[in-house]
Amino acid sequence: MSLSLLLFWPLCAVVMAGALSTALARNMVYAALSLGVTLAGVSGLYLFLQAEFLAAVQLTVYVGGILVLLLFGVMFSRDILGAHQTPKPLPLAVGIVTSLLVLGVMIRTGMAVIHTRGANALSLVRSAPETWDGNFSPGSTVHLGDLLASAYLVPFLVVAMLLTVVLVGALVLVRKEGE
Amino acid sequence: MNCCMLPGPDLLSPYLLVSAVLFACGLLACLTRRNAVGYLMGIELMLNAAALNFVAYGRFRTPLEAGHGQVFSIFVIVLAAAEAAVALALVYSVYRTFRDVDLDQTTTLTGSDT
Repeated sequence: MSLSLLLFWPLCAVVMAGALSTALARNMVYAALSLGVTLAGVSGLYLFLQAEFLAAVQLTVYVGGILVLLLFGVMFSRDILGAHQTPKPLPLAVGIVTSLLVLGVMIRTGMAVIHTRGANALSLVRSAPETWDGNFSPGSTVHLGDLLASAYLVPFLVVAMLLTVVLVGALVLVRKEGE
Repeated sequence: MNCCMLPGPDLLSPYLLVSAVLFACGLLACLTRRNAVGYLMGIELMLNAAALNFVAYGRFRTPLEAGHGQVFSIFVIVLAAAEAAVALALVYSVYRTFRDVDLDQTTTLTGSDT
């Protein structure tokens, strides 16, 4: 077993433990920091999936941006330490049952996909395809830029518009009355 | 190609398992948190699970399709960032009105406490 595979399984365990801690930690700051661990771990999983651009985006946007925003948001809470954050028994039971059901359905669906497609169809194709012109490898940053500027140009522009609208909308929401 | 990247296991299932656990934890957070920011964290977890699934399925189809899954993930991440910005603006206005962000206290529209 190679060194990177020795890294892979602990990384999976850290991601899942961080997610569980995010859902269950009493202290909101701990929950936010666990979310940071999870997001950074998912960035590591992107590296294992040969998605280096996404790994960088995940670190800068999620860990660098959204997590800091959430930590700011935690400061609004009157009860950061979670002394009164214990969920009521009924929502807790409903939440645990629903989550376990969804987890079971998702795992079962994934196993069904793997079984029907066969192990070969979903294992990695190591050799470069014949049809590829060889300028840049599939899934690389160059390939992503090419896709965003050709096949996904319209969604790209729509998202750009959306970001502008979101910027203005968030400013309007936090504006003081009468300004 | 990709000589400097980490070689992962040639298996789709660990990624699907991690993604399913992330989604379930996000759902659990959304269903049990009474704090609005904790609820948001659950949503972020679920979006991240979806993005991870896109990348994993794209990677384990033919190599030509690896980029398409990643493009979808980029859109998911951008939408998550936009959603977080708007949601925190909403949390701020809730805080200005109620002086707290406990979702159990923001019950003006139920009319039960008037």
